[in-house]
Amino acid sequence: MLNFDYRRPESLVEALSLRKEWGGKSSLLMGGTDLFLAIEEEVRRPELLIDLKKIDELSRLEEKDGSVHIGAAVTYSELIRSDLIHDKLPGIWESSRLVASVGIRNSATMVGNICNAVPSAESAAPLMVRGAMIHIASSSGSRTVPAVDFFTGPRRTVVKDDEIVTSISVPLLKGKFGESYVKLGRYRGEDIAQVATAVLVDEKLNFAIAYGAVGPVPMRIPGAEAVLKGKKPTADLLDKAKAEVLSTVTPIADIRASREYRLHMCAVMFEKAIAAAVSRMETGAPAYGARLI
Amino acid sequence: MSKNTKVVGHDAVRIDMEEKITGAALYTDDLPFGPNLLHMSVLASPHAHAEILKIDTSEAEKLPGVMAVATGKDYPQKYGLYLQDKSILPVDRVRYVGEQVAVVIARTKEIADEGCKLIKVDYKVLEPILDVRDAMKEDAVLIHPDLGDYQVIPWINPQPGTNISHVRKIRKGDVEKGFEEADFILEDEYHVPHVVHACIETHISVARYDYTKRFTMWNSTQSPHTQRHIMANALGIPHKDIRIIAPYVGGGFGGKAGISMEALTVACQKVPGYPVKLRWSRKEEFLNSSQRQELRATVKMGVKKNGKITALRHIMHWDVGASAEYGNNVVNATGFSATGPYFVPNVSIDSVGVYTNHPPCAAYRGFGYSEFHFGIESHMDRIAKAIGIDPVEFRRINAIKTDDEVAYKCHMNPSGMLECIDKVAEAIEWGKEEVSDDPDIVIAKGFASAWKAPAMPPNAGSSVFIKFSEDGSINVLVSGMEIGQGLHTAVAKFASEILTVPLDKIRVELPDTDRNPYEWQTVASHETWELGNATIRAARDARDKIFDVVSRAFHLEKESLYLEDGKVKDDLDPDFSLPFEDFVITGIQTEFNTWVGGPIMGIGSFIPEFTNAMVDPDTGMGGHPNVHYTVGAGAVKIELNKKTGVVRVVKMAEGFDCGKAINPDLVKDQIVGGFIQGLGTALYEVCIFDDKGKMLNTNFTDYKIPTILEMPDEMIPVIVEVPQPDGPFGARGMSEHTMIPVMPAVANAIANAIGLRIKDIPLTAEKVALRPLQKDFVPEK
Amino acid sequence: MVREIEFTLNGYHQKITVKPSEKLLDVLRDRLGITSAKYGCGKGECGACTVNLDGKTVRSCLMYAVEADGSVIETLEGFQRLGKKEIQEIYQKHNAFQCGFCAPGFIMSTDELLSQNPDPDEEEIKEALAGNLCRCTGYKNIFSAVKEMVEKRKGRES
Repeated sequence: MLNFDYRRPESLVEALSLRKEWGGKSSLLMGGTDLFLAIEEEVRRPELLIDLKKIDELSRLEEKDGSVHIGAAVTYSELIRSDLIHDKLPGIWESSRLVASVGIRNSATMVGNICNAVPSAESAAPLMVRGAMIHIASSSGSRTVPAVDFFTGPRRTVVKDDEIVTSISVPLLKGKFGESYVKLGRYRGEDIAQVATAVLVDEKLNFAIAYGAVGPVPMRIPGAEAVLKGKKPTADLLDKAKAEVLSTVTPIADIRASREYRLHMCAVMFEKAIAAAVSRMETGAPAYGARLI
Repeated sequence: MSKNTKVVGHDAVRIDMEEKITGAALYTDDLPFGPNLLHMSVLASPHAHAEILKIDTSEAEKLPGVMAVATGKDYPQKYGLYLQDKSILPVDRVRYVGEQVAVVIARTKEIADEGCKLIKVDYKVLEPILDVRDAMKEDAVLIHPDLGDYQVIPWINPQPGTNISHVRKIRKGDVEKGFEEADFILEDEYHVPHVVHACIETHISVARYDYTKRFTMWNSTQSPHTQRHIMANALGIPHKDIRIIAPYVGGGFGGKAGISMEALTVACQKVPGYPVKLRWSRKEEFLNSSQRQELRATVKMGVKKNGKITALRHIMHWDVGASAEYGNNVVNATGFSATGPYFVPNVSIDSVGVYTNHPPCAAYRGFGYSEFHFGIESHMDRIAKAIGIDPVEFRRINAIKTDDEVAYKCHMNPSGMLECIDKVAEAIEWGKEEVSDDPDIVIAKGFASAWKAPAMPPNAGSSVFIKFSEDGSINVLVSGMEIGQGLHTAVAKFASEILTVPLDKIRVELPDTDRNPYEWQTVASHETWELGNATIRAARDARDKIFDVVSRAFHLEKESLYLEDGKVKDDLDPDFSLPFEDFVITGIQTEFNTWVGGPIMGIGSFIPEFTNAMVDPDTGMGGHPNVHYTVGAGAVKIELNKKTGVVRVVKMAEGFDCGKAINPDLVKDQIVGGFIQGLGTALYEVCIFDDKGKMLNTNFTDYKIPTILEMPDEMIPVIVEVPQPDGPFGARGMSEHTMIPVMPAVANAIANAIGLRIKDIPLTAEKVALRPLQKDFVPEK
Repeated sequence: MVREIEFTLNGYHQKITVKPSEKLLDVLRDRLGITSAKYGCGKGECGACTVNLDGKTVRSCLMYAVEADGSVIETLEGFQRLGKKEIQEIYQKHNAFQCGFCAPGFIMSTDELLSQNPDPDEEEIKEALAGNLCRCTGYKNIFSAVKEMVEKRKGRES
């Protein structure tokens, strides 16, 4: 039988001291859309739920010191409605719109999404290409981990049992840039990504490329980035970069898609994502949020 | 029939709509049962096939809050609708993953769940059989070793000593000769997997057994009387002492036909006086709501150069799962009809039900017709192309016409097959080529015809009570179920048309087997026709009683009386006008101050008196198994992305000959709803099992049903009305039919787009993207 | 372990005691007389349990009741009291539902859409309703009804 206690601290200090006291026996609750099911399916058996929803400082969504700061309590719906996100982090805005459904997005948070750390986590690849930083606090201090180093395995992250992820900061970009997020689902409705591709390109033609759902953790593809760096992406270069992608990703076959189809789509989506990002930087089209596949 | 109807054939707001949009509509789970309500949980088998060696329930029974535990030992009897191969709880053997092995009744659901975890079962695991081809092998393990001992109705033919649950054969004409006459023959295999109804409301049953040994059940069901009958027989309780109440049902589609989990709540006998609730979780619903049968079909068809079909051999192996008690009727019904809506002079059909260790299968919208139409209608396109005839024209050439001989040699009822084909072809702009601006996208169209007859026993009956109230309003009591299809609105309209009472003065009552008259089941798309006929009889009966009273009270000629706007009028006396409220309860005061008449009621019953299920088992001849066929056609326009393989249906048209659209807008709603349900099964719905027989996608995470985003941009429902002579106002059913053309229409569109012929459902993006890349790929021309 | 929680439900102030593991959906249904929010999947995937919490729709099957402490909850039962009949009436006019089981969830999602977005385009309407599964209707009448609601509102505002 489910038998856990519940606390709703009003300050981060209080939450961190609960976290210190309870450690691995506690689970952090924000939107709860992942945790709830983990508890239902007995994947997690916490003795204490620490509900962080009433901690004001976690609900910040602001631009400060050259970065956009997304607090742990910020929901996907808030991100989608934010002009700041739409204008400054369009790739993250684009990917946020593809998370589940309105009813889930109203509760679910981006921090929760990355802490749940499934290989298909919607926000992982878009944060990775933007060089996002993850801010983690504990009673004894705080630390910052780059998004690219945050994931350690399926459903595993660097976060320790006494820690709380407080926010994500995404550095603002100077000059023109283009982004794209392409997701493969089984249909247009709500689905878990079978392949996810995020691309960022800046006016110096530096490319950042990340993939989700095609390995144990979301990953950047440095080989492909190096091939394209500083050059106009010709068909020939794209083929070389695609080869790098295909030799880096390690998709599995499961009930959602075969390995073969995932690899096929890694290549198809790579082309679409690069083309969209470059075109957006140059012309502003296609609009962010438009269907890319 | 009069063409000048006042409500029949006109659009109206559904009579159940207000209840449903205000939250007033109560479904079984919404009924209040008070603090005495107990909850039931079920221990499910982890094995697809195993002998039960021992069940130890002692720990569960000790858990505080647990009131009772039941196992197969408590219920040794078998039950079933057509073949008694089902146990309430298994005694010695489990046959699928998820089968209920024991139930626990407790104060709370949480305690009941906990109790289940404390039950220890020792199994001897057996090799599961998960494919009909393995099940048919000579040396296959028998899933039902006692098949020969099960009770069975006379027209179902199980084969003891094998895994075959039923065989229906058709032998018409000389098939070999037909193939000799053919200029072109095509033979191939088709595969349609298991899918589920996925009603948004999961199955639920609440049962109470009282100290007088009386059973009351509140079930989400399409079949209250059939459930009562099965329960009475299984438990040896008189029918009068079982009462089944059916509140609103949150989707049925055949999944709530017959009896499934409701049988488990009989364990409430162990706790007399307490109501006991069992509600399937979504996962349990996937496994235990009767899946759609898997079909492996071999179609061999011969044609002349001029496009005339000369012969068809159609062999269908149906995976009926662990039980065929209901599903055998799917095997049976399709056996009679697996020609599709065509005239075929020489026919050989073998429809074979085969047990496997998959979950039990039964009725799902279309009752097997969707599955076999996939093969037949894919085949029709392929043959048409091979002999150089347009696929729509090829269907026109062979379309079944009124009076044509069907496969079992009865004559086709009046029907507008050609009109359906033509109107759908016109709506989809058949023949008009379209090219996309996007080089990755190919636009193409696909077409399919369809037909279906109600699958029902020859003596399936409907009945209706109509009773008046003081203000002249009416309650119509039926046990035909409003499952969303709009049946109660149709029933209200029949009563309204004949008794001239406006719709807002009519209530149609949901079933209660104690109070409402008998109904076989709400399945088979037979209700508009059959319950409609019974309703008309009941309305006429009430009208006759009204005329009788009025003629006696006022000394008028019965023949000159008629009804108008809820009043009795007289042809011979324009001034005579007697409103219903003046007499339908109190009667009429005579000149002597006495009273005649009394409360007016109408009763009506209907069974088809011309059907006969007793055919020759070797040929299928000699009977009259079906009441009539409803025909139709469907077409899609797709945008296919060659790179991603994604197929998007952007436009659909479907037309059916419903004889008479009682509610034209609701007929269109059925077409749209059935099409979208079919679209899910065409593109991505599939039950996925591992090699041990465990279903892996028992949730909406991985079993996808269409959302509003999958809706085609354009949907054109078409109504054709060639009257059914014995139908109410000429009507016949059409609700299931709407799903039938979808799978083959989409498959044909894919073939027309890129030459890829997919013979296994679902038509996933993965297949569309990858198969053309295979070395041996030869595009269909 | 039990917690006392307070919240407003359809305009009525409520105070009840719950265990932390009790789901909001079960508490609403079994203890507060709410029947419009339905159990459909228990995983937040079908939308049948949708209720409005503090002005936004949530999946009441994916929340613990303790999380609702201090909140304002609205369900379909409150619609007539809260003067929101128009959505229902237009849905009714369009015969938008068949079995009706998903209707409350759709109505809650529609209410949220219309309160947040005065002029949604077709894609935005679909996106707002994409989390509500319906197995009967094929969505066509639901979609037409919402389009009419949007037009009506625009007509009043212009």
